[in-house]
Amino acid sequence: MADSDCIVIMGSNMAENHPVAFRWPMQAKVEHGAKIIHVDPRFTRTSAVADIYAPVRAGSDIAFLGGVINYVINSERWNKDPFFKTWVVNYTNAATIITEDFKDTEDLDGVFSGLMEYKGGLPEWPFNAFVGEYKPDSWQYARTKVGATGEMAASTARAGETRVTTGPAASKAAAAQGERKTPPGPPYDKLVAALLKPPVERDETLQNPRTVFQIVKRHYSRYTPEMVERATGCPKETFLKVAETILANSGADKTTSFAYAVAWTQHTYGVQMIGACALLQLLLGNVGRPGAGVMALRGHASIQGSTDIPTLYHSIQGYMSAPSALKKHDTLDDFIAAETLPTGWWANLPKYMVSYLKSMYGDAATKENQFGYDWHPKILGDHSHLAMFAAMNAGKVKGMLCIGQNPATSLNARLERAAMRKLEWLVVKDNWIHETANFWKTAPEIKSGEVKPQDIKTEVFFLPATQVAEVDGTFTNTQRLLQFHHKAAEPPGDCRSDPWFTYQLGKRLKKLYANSTLPRDEGFKNLVWDYEHESEHERKIGEPSALKILKEINGFYTDDPNRHVAGFAELKDDGSTTCASWIYSGVYPAPDKNLAARRTPDPPGQPGAHLNWGWAWPSNRRIMYNRASADPQGRPWSEKKKWVWWDEEKKRWVGYDVPDYPATKPPTDKAKPGATGMDALPGTAPFIMRPDGVGWLYVPAGLVDGPLPTHYEPVESPVKNPLYKQQTSPVLKYWKDPSNPIAQLGDQKYPYIITTYRLTEHYLAGAMSRWNPWLTELQPELFIEMSPELAQEKGIKNLDWVRVTTPRAQIRAKALVTRRMRPFVIDGKTFHHVGMPWHWGWEGISTGDVVNELTSLVGDPNVSIHEGKAFICNVEKA
Amino acid sequence: MAEPMGFYTDTTVCIGCKACEVACKEWNQLPSTNGGKNTLSGDSYDNTRRLDGIHWRHVKFIEQFTEERKDGRWLLMSDVCKHCVQAACLEVCPTGAIIRTEFDTVVIQSDVCNGCRDCIAACPFGVIDINPASGTAQKCTLCYDRLQAGMEPACSKACPTDSIQFGTIRELRERAQKRVEQLHQAGEKRAYLYGADEKMLGGLNSFYLLVDRPEAYGLPPDPKMPTRNLSSGSWFSVLGAVLVGLMGIINFRNRGAHQPPPEVRS
Amino acid sequence: MTAFPSSTFFSAPPDWGWLVTLYFFVGGLAGGSYFLAVLIDLFGRPEDRPLARLGYYIALPCIIVSGILLTVDLYRPERFWHMLIESNTYRPMFKAWSPMSVGSWALLIFGIFAFLSFVGALVEDKRLEWPAGARLRPPSVLGRIIGILGGLFGFYVAGYTGVLLAVTNRPIWSDTPLLGMLFVVSAASISAALMILIARRSRWTMPGIAALHRMDAWVVALEFIVLIAVIVSLGPVMRAWVNAWGLLLFLGVIVLGMLAPLGLYWRRQWLGDLNVTAGAALVLIGGFILRMVIVFSAQGV
Ligand SMILES: Nc1nc2c(c(=O)[nH]1)N[C@H]1C(S)=C(S)[C@@H](COP(=O)(O)OP(=O)(O)OC[C@H]3O[C@@H](n4cnc5c(=O)[nH]c(N)nc54)[C@H](O)[C@@H]3O)O[C@H]1N2
Ligand SMILES: Nc1nc2c(c(=O)[nH]1)N[C@H]1C(S)=C(S)[C@@H](COP(=O)(O)OP(=O)(O)OC[C@H]3O[C@@H](n4cnc5c(=O)[nH]c(N)nc54)[C@H](O)[C@@H]3O)O[C@H]1N2
Ligand code: SF4
Ligand code: SF4
Ligand code: SF4
Ligand code: SF4
Ligand code: SF4
Ligand SMILES: [Mo]
Repeated sequence: MADSDCIVIMGSNMAENHPVAFRWPMQAKVEHGAKIIHVDPRFTRTSAVADIYAPVRAGSDIAFLGGVINYVINSERWNKDPFFKTWVVNYTNAATIITEDFKDTEDLDGVFSGLMEYKGGLPEWPFNAFVGEYKPDSWQYARTKVGATGEMAASTARAGETRVTTGPAASKAAAAQGERKTPPGPPYDKLVAALLKPPVERDETLQNPRTVFQIVKRHYSRYTPEMVERATGCPKETFLKVAETILANSGADKTTSFAYAVAWTQHTYGVQMIGACALLQLLLGNVGRPGAGVMALRGHASIQGSTDIPTLYHSIQGYMSAPSALKKHDTLDDFIAAETLPTGWWANLPKYMVSYLKSMYGDAATKENQFGYDWHPKILGDHSHLAMFAAMNAGKVKGMLCIGQNPATSLNARLERAAMRKLEWLVVKDNWIHETANFWKTAPEIKSGEVKPQDIKTEVFFLPATQVAEVDGTFTNTQRLLQFHHKAAEPPGDCRSDPWFTYQLGKRLKKLYANSTLPRDEGFKNLVWDYEHESEHERKIGEPSALKILKEINGFYTDDPNRHVAGFAELKDDGSTTCASWIYSGVYPAPDKNLAARRTPDPPGQPGAHLNWGWAWPSNRRIMYNRASADPQGRPWSEKKKWVWWDEEKKRWVGYDVPDYPATKPPTDKAKPGATGMDALPGTAPFIMRPDGVGWLYVPAGLVDGPLPTHYEPVESPVKNPLYKQQTSPVLKYWKDPSNPIAQLGDQKYPYIITTYRLTEHYLAGAMSRWNPWLTELQPELFIEMSPELAQEKGIKNLDWVRVTTPRAQIRAKALVTRRMRPFVIDGKTFHHVGMPWHWGWEGISTGDVVNELTSLVGDPNVSIHEGKAFICNVEKA
Repeated sequence: MAEPMGFYTDTTVCIGCKACEVACKEWNQLPSTNGGKNTLSGDSYDNTRRLDGIHWRHVKFIEQFTEERKDGRWLLMSDVCKHCVQAACLEVCPTGAIIRTEFDTVVIQSDVCNGCRDCIAACPFGVIDINPASGTAQKCTLCYDRLQAGMEPACSKACPTDSIQFGTIRELRERAQKRVEQLHQAGEKRAYLYGADEKMLGGLNSFYLLVDRPEAYGLPPDPKMPTRNLSSGSWFSVLGAVLVGLMGIINFRNRGAHQPPPEVRS
Repeated sequence: MTAFPSSTFFSAPPDWGWLVTLYFFVGGLAGGSYFLAVLIDLFGRPEDRPLARLGYYIALPCIIVSGILLTVDLYRPERFWHMLIESNTYRPMFKAWSPMSVGSWALLIFGIFAFLSFVGALVEDKRLEWPAGARLRPPSVLGRIIGILGGLFGFYVAGYTGVLLAVTNRPIWSDTPLLGMLFVVSAASISAALMILIARRSRWTMPGIAALHRMDAWVVALEFIVLIAVIVSLGPVMRAWVNAWGLLLFLGVIVLGMLAPLGLYWRRQWLGDLNVTAGAALVLIGGFILRMVIVFSAQGV
């Protein structure tokens, strides 16, 4: 970001929530006058240092971004400057042609072709909560279909083909796969080759009305500046200023970057918001280049690591899908057939999957037993936070290990606490006895006498956790950078690390199942579980060795465990290598080489990527897809934005960064017909994780809610969708429950738009800040921010107590009346907007009502994140 | 004496994160308002309210918005002792508790101070107050202990955006001047330096880049030394005494009080 | 954003409260009465000497109380001596330009003179059998020297407090150079008033009382003029007195403490016999309110 010419912070309050990372935007601003733009319903500390502040009401970002896209496509500069044309034709799927069955939201007034009623899911797990479902066949690339191969399309998910999700589609696709004879592996090359599909139809003039470009152009044609003002409440002039600035700072020698965080995710169309941004950045050539990109500002320290080595339910290490009962994943071959993309880098998936299974089951994993694939657990459906608590509330969950979370203050908190009361046991492992640890004793419903502790059967265990400085380990930050941290202090008393808990639990479970003969326990019996610490002292208290865990993640040769693999290029699909997470492979290339522990920055003044500071996945690359920083011929787009380029003498890719490309694959390389993997892509295709090697403006597969971002209203909104008849996402997730009611459009009881967010001074549910007097004195009490206009309307004065009400609950907070909040004029009608930080709870030094009592269990259909960023409420003087 | 050291604070890049406030408290182990059980001030995001004996750094939040919200501003500024070259506090302190260090900074020796509070009234910037924990007047020491150990002050080190910059005054003034010019070119004509030259109390060793009148930031437009009133005040007092004396003499005018009165003689 | 009348409005209040107000009053009495006593000694009639002794009798206890008040007002009373001795070098601590520093010394030295004169007075009153002690009072040369020096310090003690306030950066205090003068004059007026009251209680009738009374009237008049000068010299800062304090200043000090006594002086028939007593009492009360208003009003802003 320090290299950006323009930085758009939208869907994030970067200065407040990523203050340390924010030094880079400020550096760009001070050192070369980069423009900073902040798009937010509130004027925040980020807006305070921004060059342009654009107010938008919560939930309207796609309308705004769609407006920018429309502006760009129809701008003179974009159509004249050859850079954009070259980029879009070569580096995106703009020229690709889509099947004629595809119907856009413009044709169907807000829905795409293929919408149907949701019938998917397994009877054992009725918690997927989709309100509808798309059959995405009609969204596909048009291909010259040749017989059976055409049919076969259905099998490969991410290959730009039908994503087999759930329901009828699943069984049908499964059937399709059943018929197919997949040559068994290993080696899996034949199987992968068999997945190949016919080439796609393209029109490089972009004139064909069915090209992605023309579809995109039509899709956003009504997102005019006037419409943006109507839909978002952002004054037209401000919007145009933003659009102009972004365009003016994109091109061969300028780059614009976007930063977002959870104000783009916490929506029932959050993934599509991010998609809209990606679409725009691809149109502008702002990907894979210095100072470009879409920065996801991750949340908790190392939350990036926790999705790489996932605590996510739906993927296993390195973003491979978790084996699922809803897909044709019966055997390892099936899994590989269903998940592998035959072209592009993902063609290597068999190597990564087999090496992963070897890391799980070691020598017990053999060709014969499919490397223990059958022992691996499968998911039944949505096991995300919201779904799990819905299930818990339905009495379907026996116990919970709550490690580093505080759900008693989480979404629809009252419901989540009710759910926890139905548990048989609850293990809380934390640094503080927080609201969740005490939910049975001090929760509001207990204090009010509604619930009696003695009626709660849940047995609660509390395990004191260490702090990060008390253990060795790595952090993976927002830039995918692994940095090793060394133990600095002994943990007090019985405090133990989280790895300790997992390791000890694993050891005990293995003992428990040691003599079991049940097939389902094979996994435990064969699980490789040896992380004994090198140091005597740590062994005594049972702490596992961080380095041994890192070694398993990095991978090694099964015949010689002391020989670490140098990177994922060395991984094999025959069981000769093991690697828990292929993307991390290379971080620990030799027993004496822990690259995450490196601390050598580049000397000041010279362009560089600090390649000797820590280690970034994949392969220590600092900018992903950096092949795109050079033009199709491999030359830098401009001297100013030089990063990685093709060296004609050396016949290889060189530059400041590790090239994200096969080192010697020349730009002149043509795609080899019938080849798999990288050979199937031309030397001009930078986006190697995509089967067609280009960035997707239009997303034919992988998303369940449509190929193009479309403006919908939040589930709870006082505003009627100004663009389409379809009010909300037709496939969003809503967990129906008496204690999870939703206000309908036009409900006069809840006239105000409310959003929730963070303060620099506090951390999340508050256990990490509300126990610290130095922080609580800085933000001592829960408040609700509102405009003087609303305050006057409701006779509320600054610091008055107010009651905030939603269909779920009512809470109290002090009014903070400020002009940083403003009423929005939407479609000519004035809507008041309030906001609340959500850090408070009833434990700790600074206490206050739980804002999440107000929120509901509704979620994004792709990733099941809640819609905590936009709903409606009423506000009254208490 | 080593080269004069101090702070240059560029308020235009301050993000009001208060890391400086917390870093200062952590390094100097200062207590919190009412043990952390503070109350909401209602004054923007400022809940520590002012510099005092337990707040040696204080971040100010100044909201400037018109009714129609046209180009509103939220001025953020991290305030601290100015380490004046001519220091009012040091001048009046009757115990010699306040000293000037080899870094040309102004430090209160807590073991000498007896809590008379003259310095509090003297400081033109309202920086000092009593720290109830020590019963003595306290303020920013410019991390004298860290400087002596060759370390950077805790607050500037913690500042993520380099709004607070630490260094030799000479070098800081150059840097600040450049930044002002840059801002002027970028159209921010309001930018100027506060206390960066001898004109103000001989120079503030903690000076500021501001974009509004000093008063907008709660800073005196022209701070003065308390002793400005010393001679005038004294001479007027003498005059008062003389006048009173004359009145006395006129009224009691009568020679001869020198022989002791009869009833005393014997 | 309200405009500020002076750069002094950005400083912080030292929260000097009742103890300090009381000290300003008692200290004023100490210095003032000693000053008057010396005047009477040097210029008064022999019959007035008891009046002078009274002055010395007032001065010593008052200066002792002053010292106690000041020490108690410190947050670290056990370190009161730091004012006089640099605590980690043990060298004398003296700053000619810091009124509080000089004041501390003045208090100490004046205390010594007050003590000597007090003893002298005791001897003269035969309350103390020590013939040599008589030389501590004029007409003896030593007595004259003690009297003159003590008188000077007395005047300093009475006046420096006003200068001390001026040598800060608080509104009002440091916005006029006249507080010292005001305090000196006021010290004389309250001291005279106190002496008159005591003398009348003791049924004394020496001519000096009349003189003292006349003088007091003159001084109160002067004080009135100085106070007006103070208010004028504040200029825009006067705004800081547009409140309850200002009202108190007007009613309590100007009307009650100055105009009323003056009136009583010129119109003797008003309260007849009580006139003088009442007038003196009012001057005392006014003098206290004056200090109260000045100390507190400047810290309210
Ligand atoms: N100090 C501090 N830092 C943190 C955290 C913390 O709790 N405290 N939490 C960490 C975690 S886990 C995360 S996930 C990140 C989150 O980082 P952010 O996403 O920045 O956090 P939020 O404050 O939730 O939301 C940011 C902004 O989104 C705005 N907003 C709300 N709705 C919308 C909308 O619909 N559109 C747009 N454009 N803006 C909207 C809000 O007004 C708010 O200013 O922060 C991390 N960093
Ligand atoms: N309304 C609304 N709700 C939201 C959000 C929102 O913006 N609005 N944001 C959402 C987001 S993005 C997030 S990330 C969640 C966060 O919600 P939670 O994760 O439930 O809340 P945290 O306070 O982050 O909980 C982390 C806990 O981990 C503990 N902890 C810290 N270090 C360690 C350790 O090393 N080991 C162990 N065992 N424990 C440790 C802390 O004490 C703390 O109690 O909240 C979500 N909820
Ligand atoms: S909270 Fe920690 S991780 Fe987040 S910005 Fe501050 S220092 Fe970095
Ligand atoms: S740390 Fe820096 S940016 Fe943060 S408030 Fe202090 S001065 Fe401002
Ligand atoms: S700012 Fe105040 S406290 Fe700091 S040196 Fe100057 S006068 Fe002393
Ligand atoms: S309070 Fe302490 S530091 Fe301040 S003037 Fe008095 S003795 Fe000096
Ligand atoms: S320099 Fe040291 S003492 Fe002064 S504010 Fe910064 S951290 Fe606090
Ligand atoms: Mo998060």
